Amino acid sequence: MIARRSPIVQLSVRAATPLALIVAVYAFFAGHNRPGGGFAAGLLLGAVLVLRTVAGLPQPFRPIPTLAAGGVVAGLVAIAPILWGDVVLDQVVVETTVPLLGKVKSGTALIFDAGVTALVVGLVLALLDGFGAEQLSGPAGVDE
Amino acid sequence: MFWLFVFHLVACTAVMLSGDRLGRWSFAVVAAPMLASAVVALEALVNRRSEDLTAQWVEGLDLTIAARLDSFTSLLLLLVSGIGVLVCAYSTGYFSATTVGVGRFAATLLAFSTAMAGLVVSDTAWTMFIFWELTSITSFLLVGHKRTDCGARTAARRALVITASGGLALLAGFVALLDLSPGARLGTLEPVTGGWATAAAILILVAAATKSAQVPFHVWLPGAMAAPTPVSAYLHSATMVKAGVVLVAVAAPALGDTAIWTPLGVTFGAVSMVWGAIGALRQVDAKLIMAWGTVSQLGLMIALLSLGSPKATFAAISIVVAHAVFKAALFMVVGEIDVRTGTRDIRELRGLRRSMPVAFGVTVLTAASMAGVPPLLGFPAKEAAVEAALGLTGGQRFVVLAVIIGGSILTVAYTARFLIGVFGDGAGAGVGTGDAADTGSICSTEPTPVKAARPMLAAPSVVLAVLSLGGFVGLGWVTGIVRDASVVLDPKAEVYSLFRWPGLTDAFLVSVGIVAAGGALGVFVATRVRNAAPRTLGADASDSGIDQVVVVARIVAARVQHGSLPGYVMTIVATASLAAIPFLWSLDSGDLYAWDHPAQALLAIFVVGAAIAATRVRTRLGAALVLGSIGFAITGLFVTSGAPDLVLTQLLVETVVVVGFVVGLGRLTTTFPFLGGLWFTSRVVVSALAAGAVTVALIASSGRLTIPAPGSSITERLRAEAVDEGGGNNIVNVVLTDVRALDTLGEIIVLLVVALGIVSLTRRQSGDDDSDDDNGSDLENPTDTENQPPDRITGPAGTDSSERDEIDTVGAAQPEAATA
Repeated sequence: MIARRSPIVQLSVRAATPLALIVAVYAFFAGHNRPGGGFAAGLLLGAVLVLRTVAGLPQPFRPIPTLAAGGVVAGLVAIAPILWGDVVLDQVVVETTVPLLGKVKSGTALIFDAGVTALVVGLVLALLDGFGAEQLSGPAGVDE
Repeated sequence: MFWLFVFHLVACTAVMLSGDRLGRWSFAVVAAPMLASAVVALEALVNRRSEDLTAQWVEGLDLTIAARLDSFTSLLLLLVSGIGVLVCAYSTGYFSATTVGVGRFAATLLAFSTAMAGLVVSDTAWTMFIFWELTSITSFLLVGHKRTDCGARTAARRALVITASGGLALLAGFVALLDLSPGARLGTLEPVTGGWATAAAILILVAAATKSAQVPFHVWLPGAMAAPTPVSAYLHSATMVKAGVVLVAVAAPALGDTAIWTPLGVTFGAVSMVWGAIGALRQVDAKLIMAWGTVSQLGLMIALLSLGSPKATFAAISIVVAHAVFKAALFMVVGEIDVRTGTRDIRELRGLRRSMPVAFGVTVLTAASMAGVPPLLGFPAKEAAVEAALGLTGGQRFVVLAVIIGGSILTVAYTARFLIGVFGDGAGAGVGTGDAADTGSICSTEPTPVKAARPMLAAPSVVLAVLSLGGFVGLGWVTGIVRDASVVLDPKAEVYSLFRWPGLTDAFLVSVGIVAAGGALGVFVATRVRNAAPRTLGADASDSGIDQVVVVARIVAARVQHGSLPGYVMTIVATASLAAIPFLWSLDSGDLYAWDHPAQALLAIFVVGAAIAATRVRTRLGAALVLGSIGFAITGLFVTSGAPDLVLTQLLVETVVVVGFVVGLGRLTTTFPFLGGLWFTSRVVVSALAAGAVTVALIASSGRLTIPAPGSSITERLRAEAVDEGGGNNIVNVVLTDVRALDTLGEIIVLLVVALGIVSLTRRQSGDDDSDDDNGSDLENPTDTENQPPDRITGPAGTDSSERDEIDTVGAAQPEAATA
């Protein structure tokens, strides 16, 4: 079904990838004050990855390393405050002024959120792998 | 102390990642944190410094990680870390430069050392429990280090199953104990009595008995001798087996007043002391003699500690110190003999006192310490034990004294037999009896050939032997340390001392009698009795028990895990629906109202219509699209409720799911298979049940909820927390990532587990075994390891690996095979 690929689909997914990336980055940083956040960003990226699979394009990441990276980042952010005698997941808020963007306020929660994003992306990739997406996106394609 | 822990972890990770690249230098890296711990412990001991470390990591649940460094824990920490450093040095001699798996071994050794150090210094029950389990797991990995050796794997499994069952008993025991004195620290437990206290006492003693290899749980310890000798010298002499002793010492102040504590503890200890010593007398493998001897010595410690008299506690701590020093050295000597001669069988060893003079000297010193002969550290310790037994009254005095005297005589006997058997001229082979059957190769009077000496193999045991001697010379200092440690456990112990020369007291006369009788018995057994390796009945029984459990588990799993996905879903949904039953009585129709917004009615009608359509659609793709439309309609409901964050998340999830369906559908038929009428009916019934349950639950919960108006207290509080503490204006997201971040952490761990589950399940099915799940498949399917190339065998250096395997199976499962 997906094996008979349409160049139109491929091209539009290819074009949509950077756009979705930008939206995901926006959603990630917007999460602090507006709807969005790490989970939403991860899902946006995940949606792009699923579309790429449908279109038969290669995936940029492997599931296990992505999952591991997300787990390690989130876990480290969670544990790190103990080193300084605070409770688990205690966050540090930093406020600086950046050119172009003006006053930026951010905290370690942002890093934690990045871990969440990576985990969500990894989960989507794992699901795709589980569905046998590798065969689907193979060069020849199998028509079942 | 906290940074010390971090140092351990960092070194462990580094060595693990380095693999075999560092070669034997791995041991230098792992020795560094152990040395640091030993120095900290020694400094704390000398300066009588005490330190507390508390990290509360979940405030709401009162979950605290706590450690304390006082005289007792720093003494144990010194033993654990100090002997760890010596074992690392010993390992550099034991393994050759080309051995594969050295990095893994060194990292696991350090992981064990870290867990053990954590166990001895932990101050809350749960911290101790976690480290307790970690020692079980790391010791499993160390015992089964030779992954290709079937005997080692069986022994490792047996050790894991027995010690982990003890871990469960400990968990239950701690729950019972902490229920009586909530939030208590281990260092300041108050005495408790009553039914629950009795249960806690039994459970904790059983846990201690499994870990410290007390009869009838001792069967794992002789099997664990399949491990490389550095492991035996470390885990099975000085450290892991002492965990049970530590537990008894720590729990005694709280549970010592229960009626069951002393009788049960003394029974465990007494039976183990005698049975272990008898076992040691029967073995022909030098390493097994030591293992059974350890069972016996641990029995003595457990018995003394559970007596509860200050004098016995003091004696037990002295023996803990003396035993750690001499037993580690003896194991090291056995390993050295094994490496240099290729055998540990005392029937094959002869003449080593001339060819291995250093090892002989070390053994004489340490074995004499074990037997309780002056001028060595073991003597005053044994003397204190006899004193403690003499100080008891009534029937207790009789029983304990009889056991200590009997056990000590047997201890002296197996010590003598060990010395004669290993270093004498062909003892135990029936030389004196002139038995004609023994004139084969086994009975040649030629000394056993010996390979070249290795300094690193001998040096650590020499250090320990000198310590055994030095402990006696500097007995005043040792007494001070032991007394300080005992006072922590029992304040009344401060009046006792260890004596170099006690004078002609009753205890001294008893000691003389013990050594004389035991020596005579040992010489008799070594020279007159023909040795044959005994059968390992207990170990065989426990192994077949484990096998039976596995068989039953397979049968049950085949029934329960039938493999039908609809079947699973039906079972789960039907069961979950039952959870709504209690809410049936809390329904209040007065709380119900039609809608917040008229658009909700339209959306609800759409959702219901689409749901009905989903059951009627014949094609899979159609069903996926209908399900997707339900999801988007629910997004609309969120919009009318004014929840933009939910809208965004729901929208994205639905998008990914619908597109994901398309991917998944590529592998399925386009239409649903035909289902029988009964199956269809049962699905409708279960669905209706689930719908009813959800409705009941929703109505019941809405009836109790008072919806806060904007600006009311809860909204204000959340806003204040979010903006001020979390530093963000989106309250929902700040709640997720900061205020309730622990919940989020838990949720993403669930995500991680689900993803890993998917990956491992689908890979196994498709037979796709690439390198990054190599370890996982080893664990799930041990038979895989049999296909590994034989160069993974990690025997000691310079020994032919086949010889090595043979002697190791003598230690492990089939001693009869070696005698044949």
